[in-house]
Amino acid sequence: MSQKLLEVTNLSMHYDTLDGNVDAVKNVSFTVNSGESFGLVGESGCGKTSVAMTLLQLQPDNSVITEGSIKLEGKELIGLSENDLRKVRWDSISIVFQGAMNAWNPVIKIGEQIREAMREHYPQNSKQENINKINELFKMVGLDESISERFPHELSGGMKQRAVIALALSCDPKIIIADEPTTALDVVIQDQILNEIKKVQNLLGLSLIYISHDIAVIAEMTDKIAVMYAGSIVEIGPTQSVFESPKHSYTRALLDSTPSIRGEKKKLRSLDGEPPSLINEIQGCSFSPRCPSPSSGCKNQSVEMGLIQIGEEHFVDKCCSECV
Amino acid sequence: MLIYTVKRFFEMVIVFFLFLVISYLLFNAIPGNAFSSLLLNPLLPPEAYQKTIEAFGLDKPLYERVQLYIINFFKGDFGYSYTYYPRTPIDLIAERLPRTLMLFSIVNVIAFYTGFLVGKILAWRRGSKSETWITIGSVFSYTVFYPWFALMMLWFFGYKMDWFPLGKFLVPEKWYDSPYTSDEIFYTLILFVTVSSFLLFLVFIFTRNIESLQNRRNVRFLGLLSLFALAAMYWSNGEAALKRFYAADIAFHMILPTFTVTLVAFAGTALLTRTTMMEVLKDDYILTARAKGLSQKRIRDRHAARTALLPVVTSFIFTIITIIDGSVLTESIFSWPGMGQLILEAVVQEDIPLAMASFSFIGILALIAHFIADISYAFLDPRIRIKAEN
Ligand SMILES: Nc1ncnc2c1ncn2[C@@H]1O[C@H](COP(=O)(O)OP(=O)(O)O)[C@@H](O)[C@H]1O
Ligand SMILES: [Mg+2]
Repeated sequence: MSQKLLEVTNLSMHYDTLDGNVDAVKNVSFTVNSGESFGLVGESGCGKTSVAMTLLQLQPDNSVITEGSIKLEGKELIGLSENDLRKVRWDSISIVFQGAMNAWNPVIKIGEQIREAMREHYPQNSKQENINKINELFKMVGLDESISERFPHELSGGMKQRAVIALALSCDPKIIIADEPTTALDVVIQDQILNEIKKVQNLLGLSLIYISHDIAVIAEMTDKIAVMYAGSIVEIGPTQSVFESPKHSYTRALLDSTPSIRGEKKKLRSLDGEPPSLINEIQGCSFSPRCPSPSSGCKNQSVEMGLIQIGEEHFVDKCCSECV
Repeated sequence: MLIYTVKRFFEMVIVFFLFLVISYLLFNAIPGNAFSSLLLNPLLPPEAYQKTIEAFGLDKPLYERVQLYIINFFKGDFGYSYTYYPRTPIDLIAERLPRTLMLFSIVNVIAFYTGFLVGKILAWRRGSKSETWITIGSVFSYTVFYPWFALMMLWFFGYKMDWFPLGKFLVPEKWYDSPYTSDEIFYTLILFVTVSSFLLFLVFIFTRNIESLQNRRNVRFLGLLSLFALAAMYWSNGEAALKRFYAADIAFHMILPTFTVTLVAFAGTALLTRTTMMEVLKDDYILTARAKGLSQKRIRDRHAARTALLPVVTSFIFTIITIIDGSVLTESIFSWPGMGQLILEAVVQEDIPLAMASFSFIGILALIAHFIADISYAFLDPRIRIKAEN
């Protein structure tokens, strides 16, 4: 259970744009153990998808990784050749993309698109073996076998999303990344899909990286959680501990702006202001301009951001470590 | 799919009727009597004049004439060509159409196939040096003033280098004691090209499902080799061996026009494919394909190029529609005696029956091409297939 599967250390990445560098990922570190589910939460644009893409080494052409390492089962992924990466992708790590609605090629049948991946990673399998396995997966995510013979546009959003999950499972990965897998779905379906993912994860003993802007969902789904703000992780720890004693003012703001999951009546408070532009280098604590209770230290631009430990496996950005 | 096809077919028939009526009315609108030039042709005997008047009901009111024309059309009776009296338009078209179709089908198939291949590689290698240069070259040949370009090709390869004949269909001196007419030889050629492209097509279709790329390539190579062997056997035995000399003469005359038109047509396809493919490469499912760990080639050919094929097919079909109109220029420059020249002649000489028959054929061809476009589109894109079924 506590075996390290994915280890990300000091990962920094920026996009090269005409307006300058967009620092989308700054000095991000976390580990995911096997069988564990890890949540990444933060406002839209804080760099969650950038982290996810970098884990698969599928980041856009204009991105530059300046520092850090990504180790999957002890094997470094950064700098691996495209051919070696091909063997890792889907076989060890698969992903359900944000906006997975468009993840299917419109002119190829669903079943064939799944089999295509299986042929790549299990060349010895017969066609029938693959079909059997797909049917099994479909059953697991609540889809009918006949979906295999359908084209993407014949399916509803929820069905497509379930099929995407089946696709992500098709080559027995050790870890699945789910990047806002339910954002485009209506609420009832969202709930079903979440349950499906959780069920499958437990059943197969997979690791999961669940990415969302909705901290309530993350609470339901994960054992461990990292809160991201403007490209950096500002608080990370066991989900329970972070929820019970959030330390960073951003985490607290996030929790406050969500209807309480435990049903306590609390006044909803939304956060004022906008996240900072990632183009300009940010001095000091990136959250201080929006912080409801900034201390004098926070505004001090010479303070570098960095995590310090405040509890068992619970870390928070220096700046807020003293906050009450 | 069947219902869709039938529906489309009936629509096509209706449109064709409208086309016939409208084109008749347009010719009818020519100032004076549309057939007055008939009188001026000294070669035309009076009985032909009388026959035409009767056949087309020229002394009857307009609506009767239209009726008569349509009835005659379906009987295949267009009267006589004024310029080629006593040959009929049908007879002339039957002689000229195959020449045009042969030349331009070959051109279009080569141009679209290579254009598509090049276009997809250009999009894939975006930003590389070779991509830049080939793209610039394609833009040049796509935008070049075609008549000038064709004349330059003719001047350079035909006159300056003297590698190819300066146009025409054959060298008459070689044919003085020929036991065959040029048409006989040409039909043999057409048959040969049709059969061999069909066989080639079969080779590709049947090897499509060979999973290993290496094996597929080898099997296809073997297939090509045996096709070549078959072709060689065909031309060295029996009657074909006697026809070989004349067939080669015609084929030789086809090379320069084929090459010239291909260069121009190819560029358009390559640029079109490049643009669509670059759009497709931005789609999410390309990212999925990469995440799945598929090979570059598979992503390019199976996921990107397949979707980028749709607009290319459309443009291919629309090119087929314009083959005959488009052939006017090429055939004039290379003195290729096909439909293009025939139409030009008919119009310049006011040979009304011939012109009308020719335009009707263009219409039929255009409709058939549209029909094929719709059907093959539905075949290639399942989204349209579904819509079509409902
Ligand atoms: N290809 C790119 N080029 C330039 N900037 C990008 C690119 N992709 C994302 N960004 C920027 O990087 C930041 C982080 O984006 P993203 O990782 O998608 O955030 P999230 O998934 O948390 O919403 C955003 O400001 C976004 O505008
Ligand atoms: Mg995102």
